[in-house]
Amino acid sequence: MEEVLEGLLYVQGDVGITIDEIKQILNIDEETAGKVVYNLKKYYDDNKRGLRINFLGNTIKLTTREEHKEYYQKLLDGPRENSLSDAALETLAIIAYNEPITRGEIDNLRGVDSSYVLRRLLAKGFVKECGKSELPGRPILYKTTDDFLDYFGLSSKDDLPSIEETLEVDEPKDLYTSIYKEGGDTNG
Amino acid sequence: MDYISIDNFEGPLDLLLHLVKESNIDICDIKIEEITDKYLDYIKHEDNLNINISSSYLIMASELMYLKSKSLLPKNNVEEETDEELTRENLVNRLLEYKKYKELTETFREMEQSRKEIFIKGPEKYSNYVEEHRSNEESVDVLIEAFKKFLERKEKDRPLETTITRKEYSVNVRKNSIKNILRKKGKVTLDELIEEDSKPYLVVTFLGILEMVKEKDITILQNKNFEQILIELRS
Repeated sequence: MEEVLEGLLYVQGDVGITIDEIKQILNIDEETAGKVVYNLKKYYDDNKRGLRINFLGNTIKLTTREEHKEYYQKLLDGPRENSLSDAALETLAIIAYNEPITRGEIDNLRGVDSSYVLRRLLAKGFVKECGKSELPGRPILYKTTDDFLDYFGLSSKDDLPSIEETLEVDEPKDLYTSIYKEGGDTNG
Repeated sequence: MDYISIDNFEGPLDLLLHLVKESNIDICDIKIEEITDKYLDYIKHEDNLNINISSSYLIMASELMYLKSKSLLPKNNVEEETDEELTRENLVNRLLEYKKYKELTETFREMEQSRKEIFIKGPEKYSNYVEEHRSNEESVDVLIEAFKKFLERKEKDRPLETTITRKEYSVNVRKNSIKNILRKKGKVTLDELIEEDSKPYLVVTFLGILEMVKEKDITILQNKNFEQILIELRS
């Protein structure tokens, strides 16, 4: 079955495959599916293959190895740096940690209008609409997508770097003390 | 003080954070008077403020001035209690909250970079694996769905400012082109004549057909209700 999975991963490429799909296609239960994935991953690792099994953006994908990056970079002539802007990163971070969130709330947190950045992110497929808020005017709610996770090399939302709990604004005292401890290194 | 161009900041909060950092104080200890003066100084120094960008900076400036004036006035502790949004505490909280995400962007930047170290090939051409191309209506629906989605995304990708030019259609020109089509093909369905999907185009096409019927250049046939409408050149 591992061989079939290998083929499936090849066919799917960067679309990847989910455990549910593996279960369905191979007609096996969840536990077995997990085992098959694990075995194939182990096979690739143990035999030092050029590819490896990765879990990115909530799907299983066949990828190259970080160790070999220099060779691929030689293949892809010239640097084609195409990174996101600071504004885009900031906005994505805000959405990822507060989703679902309205544009107004994003604007408020950033202190500037975010409509343009948000449009770009929607067009890139890193963010999508997910219903309407109960707030006055029923503004649209946004959340991040699996493509967003993959873009940052994250397996799932649980992989997001941890952030101190957003504390209630009603308790400014607590907020001060906790930030003090966390941010102590920035200035003595 | 070094003046970094305001373009390098992501907004008033970012600028404030920079000013706080520069004066080496903890956000929680900021003095409204001091920070307000610095902020205004900065804004004044920036001589080519773009109105679109600057409005948010100016709002912040007015908020700061309000806070400053309040802090300078003798405390009138009986009146005006809490529920105001503009308080020092509120500002501090906003700054702290913003700082949190600002710092995270660096982490995201690193993650972005390291993800670029691995590559994944695109999916295989699925048609290579499908035995026979099934062209039933279901697949057309799927195609339409996909196209709609593409249009939606395209719409979002569209620049915010666009110029719209109006295309002029003439009934006479259209009549001639319909005649040419009919000469070539003999008999066509109405659908075949509609190649473009715009209102003016449709209207001009219909007007052209109607005029040509009136002038007895063409005949229109329909065998049964709801069947294809056929158009034929009269000899």
